[in-house]
Amino acid sequence: MSYMKKDEDADQVMIKLDRTSVFQDARLFNSSPISPRTCRTLLTKIAVLMFTGEQFPTNEATTLFFGISKLFQNKDPSLRQMVYLILKELAGTAEDVIMSTSIIMKDTAVGSDVLYRANAIRALCRIIDASTVQGIERLIKTAIVDKTPSVSSAALVSSYHLLPIARDVVRRWQSETQEAASSSKSSTGFLGFSSSSQSHAISQSNFMTQYHAIGLLYQMRAHDRMSLVKMVQQYGAAGVVKSPAALLLLVRLAAKLAEEDQGLRKPMMQMLDGWLRHKHEMVNFEAAKAICDMRDVTDAEASQAVHVLQLFLSSPRSITKFAAIRILHNFASFKPHVVNVCNPDIESLISNSNRSIATFAITTLLKTGNEASVDRLMKQISGFMADITDEFKVTIVEAIRTLCLKFPSKQAGMLVFLSGILRDEGGYEFKRTVVESMFDLIKFVPESKEDALAHLCEFIEDCEFTKLSVRILHLLGAEGPKTTHPTKYIRYIYNRVVLENAIVRAAAVTALAKFGVGQKDPEVKSSVQVLLTRCLDDTDDEVRDRAALNLRLMGEEDEAASAFIKNDSMYSLSTFEHQLVMYVTSGDKQTFAAAFDVATVPVVSHEQALAEERTKKLTSATPTLKAPSAGPTKSKASGGMAEAATASATQKYAEQIMQHPDLKEYGTLLKSSGPVELSESETEYVVTAVKHIFKEHIVVQYDIKNTLPDTVLENVTVAATPEEEDVLEEDFIIPAPKLPTDEPGVVYVAFKKLGGENSVPVTSFTNNLKFTSKEIDPTTGEPEDSGYDDEYQVEDLELTGSDYVIPTFAGSFDHVWEQTGANGEEESETLQLSNMKGINDATEQLIAALSLQPLEGTDVALNSSTHTLKLFGKTVSGGRVASLIKMAYSSKAGVTTKITVRAEEEGVAAAVIASVS
Amino acid sequence: MAAIFRTIYDWLLRVFWATEMDVTMIGLQNAGKSSLLRVLAGGEFTVDLLDSSIPTIGFNTKRVQKGHVTLKCWDLGGQPRFRPMWERYCRGVNAIVYIVDAADRAALPVATEELHDLMKKPTLDSIPLLVLGNKSDLPDKLSVDELIEAMDLKSVTHREVSCYGISAKEETNLDAVLHWLIHRASR
Repeated sequence: MSYMKKDEDADQVMIKLDRTSVFQDARLFNSSPISPRTCRTLLTKIAVLMFTGEQFPTNEATTLFFGISKLFQNKDPSLRQMVYLILKELAGTAEDVIMSTSIIMKDTAVGSDVLYRANAIRALCRIIDASTVQGIERLIKTAIVDKTPSVSSAALVSSYHLLPIARDVVRRWQSETQEAASSSKSSTGFLGFSSSSQSHAISQSNFMTQYHAIGLLYQMRAHDRMSLVKMVQQYGAAGVVKSPAALLLLVRLAAKLAEEDQGLRKPMMQMLDGWLRHKHEMVNFEAAKAICDMRDVTDAEASQAVHVLQLFLSSPRSITKFAAIRILHNFASFKPHVVNVCNPDIESLISNSNRSIATFAITTLLKTGNEASVDRLMKQISGFMADITDEFKVTIVEAIRTLCLKFPSKQAGMLVFLSGILRDEGGYEFKRTVVESMFDLIKFVPESKEDALAHLCEFIEDCEFTKLSVRILHLLGAEGPKTTHPTKYIRYIYNRVVLENAIVRAAAVTALAKFGVGQKDPEVKSSVQVLLTRCLDDTDDEVRDRAALNLRLMGEEDEAASAFIKNDSMYSLSTFEHQLVMYVTSGDKQTFAAAFDVATVPVVSHEQALAEERTKKLTSATPTLKAPSAGPTKSKASGGMAEAATASATQKYAEQIMQHPDLKEYGTLLKSSGPVELSESETEYVVTAVKHIFKEHIVVQYDIKNTLPDTVLENVTVAATPEEEDVLEEDFIIPAPKLPTDEPGVVYVAFKKLGGENSVPVTSFTNNLKFTSKEIDPTTGEPEDSGYDDEYQVEDLELTGSDYVIPTFAGSFDHVWEQTGANGEEESETLQLSNMKGINDATEQLIAALSLQPLEGTDVALNSSTHTLKLFGKTVSGGRVASLIKMAYSSKAGVTTKITVRAEEEGVAAAVIASVS
Repeated sequence: MAAIFRTIYDWLLRVFWATEMDVTMIGLQNAGKSSLLRVLAGGEFTVDLLDSSIPTIGFNTKRVQKGHVTLKCWDLGGQPRFRPMWERYCRGVNAIVYIVDAADRAALPVATEELHDLMKKPTLDSIPLLVLGNKSDLPDKLSVDELIEAMDLKSVTHREVSCYGISAKEETNLDAVLHWLIHRASR
């Protein structure tokens, strides 16, 4: 107790440190002779300041640096160490730190005291600049192969930091690094301390040097895949590398190689499989994780990893159990049937005293279980919910919410569960999560709407959180009138008006009004009117105002009132926010001369906003603990984000196009495709094309880059000839006047649709670049006067049905499928996609090719042999397009798909299907 | 016996009258600053190509013990990029030693200019200056008088100025340099 007290006091003394006073004290460095003790104390103070976030401005840092340089070569070794520590930190801000190079080099030489040699090396590499790295080359090389591990490690890590500064020089140190990687210096006392107790504690031979060496080797070879493969095989062999941390790096590297190159997948998988049986747990886990994260991993490959993890589940150590269950939890999102086998072990973890493990266990089980077991689990959780804290409850509720969105058929059971826990005790955060989950159910799972609304109505009867009440009332107002029995909600809402505080009363009045305005049933309308009239006597002015306004609106018979109350479109919030931030943070005074223009913010329909929200929720609910390059998460995000991406791409191009007066006349840009490459990226002229769809026109934008050195292309045009005649007629070309080397230019070719406004011409263009090529005179740098005309053919550009389609979200696929079927046409086709590597690959590519929005979570294939993909979108003119794709995979024939497309507009269905074949 | 007394006397001097003084050694690159310092500190003069070809990056320090006086010598790099930093290291020192390659006539104008620029700095007012014409063993060297003339040392005022011709290689005149420096310490 007394010790604790003392510690607290000491802490307070540290906190009182003040930058200016410490800086003043730093004059001490200039005194002569130097007192090592006081200087060390002062340096410690500086260190405390810097490590607690205080920044010394450049001039102060420079003064400090020059002060500290008086302390170099002091006889006291601890002071030298301290000097180097501080120097490393100051190196970033102080000027002229390069001055101390020579003097530090003395301390890094062989024969200087081991105690501070490592510190000196690290400091040296911080202060050095690219031009002087060569000067220390010999020194670092000897340090890398030094027999003292601390020195060797310091040199390796420093080289790692030097690599970006002086790549060529550092890469010459490969052979030394290799030597360090394979030598097994067991580090006794890694920090170079030789005091007996210290060295004993860490003498359990960690081979840290190897870890550093492997890390550096990877950086050196990062651009040469073959030597990386060699490195994995050389050092991955049993017993070569003793450090588990170094092996960890190799595991990650192997996984990366397998991911990037299909040819390497097999040998790398074998290595990973071998590491599953390594004697270090750390390596086992990393290997298992790498296998589970592998793109298109087969069940057989994964089962071994899952088996290893299963063994760890019954380990006595919590940390091991946690690591195993976490990997399984992630993996269960993609291949629940493989994780299935562990279910008995996982179930025993539900009651684990460590709540993190228990929570992961439950959420994993929720994913792996079949329908029956989900219900059983729900029961189990209900018993369990009582004795865990709110944070864990939130995690579980979020897992259930994701589950609801993924498997809408299970909503009934989950709704019961959610409403059950809503009645439990709990804080605001927890209740909010539950309520939001129910909101999501209402929004995205239409079947659950009535039940969920009823549960929410019950909840607000006894809700202590004003914020939640207000949100629920708003939702009741929005959704209630659309239900079959709107009257029953009116009672719940009016109860709030009687019983609650002013804020809730005001929200309730607005909700009530939504039932009244535009109401066709005269009975309902009159009762709402009566209720609102009573509100006119409220004590709060806001409530009275709202009641009065809404009563007036109810009296109006025209559409305006109902459009005002039931506003179905809103601003695209993300764009709105971005533009506001840009406006507010603008440095230019001119910007503020004009008021912020709301008209520039795109308006989206309610449905679109919902779709965006849903994608966000689905992606954020699965925690992304993997490296960003990991397969499954990426494909999921790209599939789901299709719509948002399309919208923003179109917006970006629209700005560019509006700069050309001729193109401006075409009206608003309806859709832009993604860029299509028409040439290899290494050819003389790199060409990509973007197709822009307008109401009556189509504009093809060619982005051209001239990669030939010393030539200029002038008057560049593109002769784009449609293969089919009489669908498109060339209107005009906007040429690129001049294309110097490596500067991209743009050529626009505009076509008029001959079929009229709503036609969907499908064709392919043959493209010929035409230009005058001029060489640059090497003496003047100016192009020569005369050039020669030339042509250059690039690949053909396809204009397909999918270019006219925009991905759109709809709540229920079956609903839109029936509707488009009833009043449109249907086309179907069976295709053999032999070049696809699997169901996941096919799913991803089909979504991209058709440019439609995947619905009901079908963008993630849960089964690797068959899958049904449900897609929906709208044409640029607003007609709906729905597509149902059934896929089957066999290793012999590839992916067989049956694509059925229904569209409301004529000719669209056939055009969309044609974009796949 | 006398030697023992001498040692004890020196030791007593060091303990009770020990003084430490800072000396900055500057000059253009390749004037021989680092070599001179090494010789002053009791080391060997090396003509080793590898060693002498490494120019000082930044600065170096060495302590030179002479009787009861410890000279703390700051040997600054002479390359153009380090010259702006000279002034900072010259502040508050007991003496500035400016070393010139007496045999390199081509570099002399630059050396002169750099020296006069430095002497104009108000922060360095009244710090004694010692100009050394190094490499006096080479045949084509300037004599001390010629050096004073060529570098216009007479125009340097407000401070004590001396000029010696030395050779770090032959160790000529080094005692005079040390005496001059120690003499500044006692004032």
